[in-house]
Amino acid sequence: MTTTITESGNQLIAQFIGRLDTAAAVQTAEDVKPLMEAANREIILDCSRLEYISSSGLRIFLSIRKEAATHGSKVIVRDINADIRQVFMMTGFISLFEIQ
Amino acid sequence: MQQKTKSNFWIIIVAAVLLEAISCVQYFTSRAAIREEAELRARTELRKAELEIEKHTIEMEAAAKTLVMLAQKHVDNPEYIYACTSSVVGAIEHTGSVAIAFVPDYFPQHGRYFEACSSRISKDSIYTRQIGSAEHDYTQLEWFQNGFVHDTCWWSEPYLDDSGSQTYVVSCSLPIRDENGNIVAVACVDLALDYLQKVSEYLQIYPKSHYSIVSNKGVEIVPKPDTISGRKYHIFDEEIDATGWYISIIIPEEVIFADLNRIGILVGVLMILGLGLLIFILWHSGRSLQRLEVANTQKQRMMNELEIAQTIQKAMLPKVFPPFADRLDLNIYGMVRPAKEIGGDLYDFYVRHDKLFFCVGDVSGKGVPASLVMATIRSLFRSITSHEEEAHVIVRMMNDTMAEQNDQNMFVTLFVGVLNLETGEMRYCNAGHNAPVLNGRMLPVIPNLPIGVMAGFAYESQKTMLRYNDMLFLYTDGLTEAEDTAKELFGEQRMLDILGAMHGERPRQIVEALEAGVADFVGKAEQSDDLTMLAIRYQTNAILMRNDIQQIPTLAEWIDGLRIPTELNMPINLALEEAVTNVMLYAYPGRNDGKVFVEYIEVNEPDGHKMIFTISDSGVPFDPTQSPEADITLSAEERAIGGLGIHLVRQLMDEISYEREEDKNILTLVKNL
Repeated sequence: MTTTITESGNQLIAQFIGRLDTAAAVQTAEDVKPLMEAANREIILDCSRLEYISSSGLRIFLSIRKEAATHGSKVIVRDINADIRQVFMMTGFISLFEIQ
Repeated sequence: MQQKTKSNFWIIIVAAVLLEAISCVQYFTSRAAIREEAELRARTELRKAELEIEKHTIEMEAAAKTLVMLAQKHVDNPEYIYACTSSVVGAIEHTGSVAIAFVPDYFPQHGRYFEACSSRISKDSIYTRQIGSAEHDYTQLEWFQNGFVHDTCWWSEPYLDDSGSQTYVVSCSLPIRDENGNIVAVACVDLALDYLQKVSEYLQIYPKSHYSIVSNKGVEIVPKPDTISGRKYHIFDEEIDATGWYISIIIPEEVIFADLNRIGILVGVLMILGLGLLIFILWHSGRSLQRLEVANTQKQRMMNELEIAQTIQKAMLPKVFPPFADRLDLNIYGMVRPAKEIGGDLYDFYVRHDKLFFCVGDVSGKGVPASLVMATIRSLFRSITSHEEEAHVIVRMMNDTMAEQNDQNMFVTLFVGVLNLETGEMRYCNAGHNAPVLNGRMLPVIPNLPIGVMAGFAYESQKTMLRYNDMLFLYTDGLTEAEDTAKELFGEQRMLDILGAMHGERPRQIVEALEAGVADFVGKAEQSDDLTMLAIRYQTNAILMRNDIQQIPTLAEWIDGLRIPTELNMPINLALEEAVTNVMLYAYPGRNDGKVFVEYIEVNEPDGHKMIFTISDSGVPFDPTQSPEADITLSAEERAIGGLGIHLVRQLMDEISYEREEDKNILTLVKNL
């Protein structure tokens, strides 16, 4: 599981590659810290290469969402696969994020 | 016991005192009555004797008076005087002799002394003569002198008859007067006291009593017995008015009370016998009580020993389940329930060199003898399998050893299996035991012979291949031959039905279901035989992890290895990950060396095709199914960070259940296909 963050204009794009399971979530939580500090930006969570997510990963997504809100930022989840969409549906996350 | 002896002692003492008191009262009352009776009797007899004596005395006096009256008519005629004496002697039976003695020189022609005397010589013969002479100077004799001066009868003291007959005699004298009233002679009538013989009939009131007759001057007509001094006597006496004699009845004390003493001795003997009987009864009842106590103590000790034996016997059998914490390819559960405290059933298993050695056996008979053989079988199994892997060789060696030392003709039915855990090949040898059940079907077995019957018997082994999640169920006939109150047997079919219904369950659940099924069937009937069951599931699909979330990727790899449908891969993966993460985070607070065990089996049942996952740990009790339902309709701001895991498990799986089994948390997740 790797996480890369790139800046593009007013956007911060985080790309998740691999499986975001409980074990990986520990490192990922560290890796996404820059997103938490960003203010007045558009945060893109690029899930095009995210294979799998567990509740630990969802917690990270929720944390980012909450932090962004306090800093006036907006979070967009992009390109989730069918499995992850299913998880988003089950957890109600589908309505918490703007999904593209 | 001490207490008992003491109370017995007092019972005996009280009984003895009571008996003694009763017999004393009875003795003294009887004694007074007997003495009174004796006195009454003595007085009566004394009265009779007195009357008899008086009768004779009066007769004699009458004879004497008659004699005087006759003599006075012709007092000058000596021949007439002779006739008088003779006739009086003749007329009176008891008269010894009759005499009339004249004052000296009354008949000068007959000399100075004249005494006419008649004596009865025999019944019909009377001898009459003149006996007065200078040698027989009657004037000097007491009777003459007294008769001379007394106008009434004068009685002499009794004296011994001078004829030498040793008979006592008394004399009665009266004066005889002439026409002028001058005393000219004295009449004397002698009374022989031989009639007193008759009196003795009255006075001899007891066979050994005595009597005495003593005159008022102390002449002992009937003397007192010589033996009188030094003994205790009861003396009753009476003075006879007519003669002034004393008659005494002398009765030795022991004679009066002879009967009483005899009764006393009898009562004493009976009392001793009674006491003896009482002592015997008390002793005997004490002994039976003691025997009972001893028997109870012995029984208690035996029960204690049996309890210890039971503990020892239980300790011989593997009893930690699951038995091999690190072996994911085996899940085993076994149980023995002896009909008595200890029994002859056994099961055993252990792993050596990746081979599972196991056996189930049933020793003929029950109780202690069977348990001893059972212990032998178990050690033989362990020692032989420590170097031998061929099932039929193991059984043959056990058989030879048992048959050799089988003095009691005990035998053992035994199933021995050796399962190669790498290949799944199971070699087994059945020594007359019930065929095990493999995946719901009876395993084909060659019966061979039970162990211990015939030394040198050539046992044959068989083999089969065990596959993924195969379940082998072994048992003793205590299961199939369990009887209900109507003597109906539980039977193989009921066993197979329960095994079918429990398909896919873990060995422990299967064994417990059968145990409950048998208990249900048997009802109130007594357990008739030892009951043993052993369930072995081979190649359980399982993974063992530490409670470290870095182990989570191995869980995903394991799930990938299960050939589950692709579309279910993610949901299963996610559900398991959430459940396992939960355990890793909460079951072992403060440590990360706790074990988390996940098992998978696939079950194809009439009601559907299921995947069953079991997650178990030995951590603190924790039931995730009790977690509150997460509210997924809340906004991002309102939602808590956690609580999603168990929500996902609920969403992804069809059934979720928790149980705490001994020290384990067991969470079962079911997904229908």
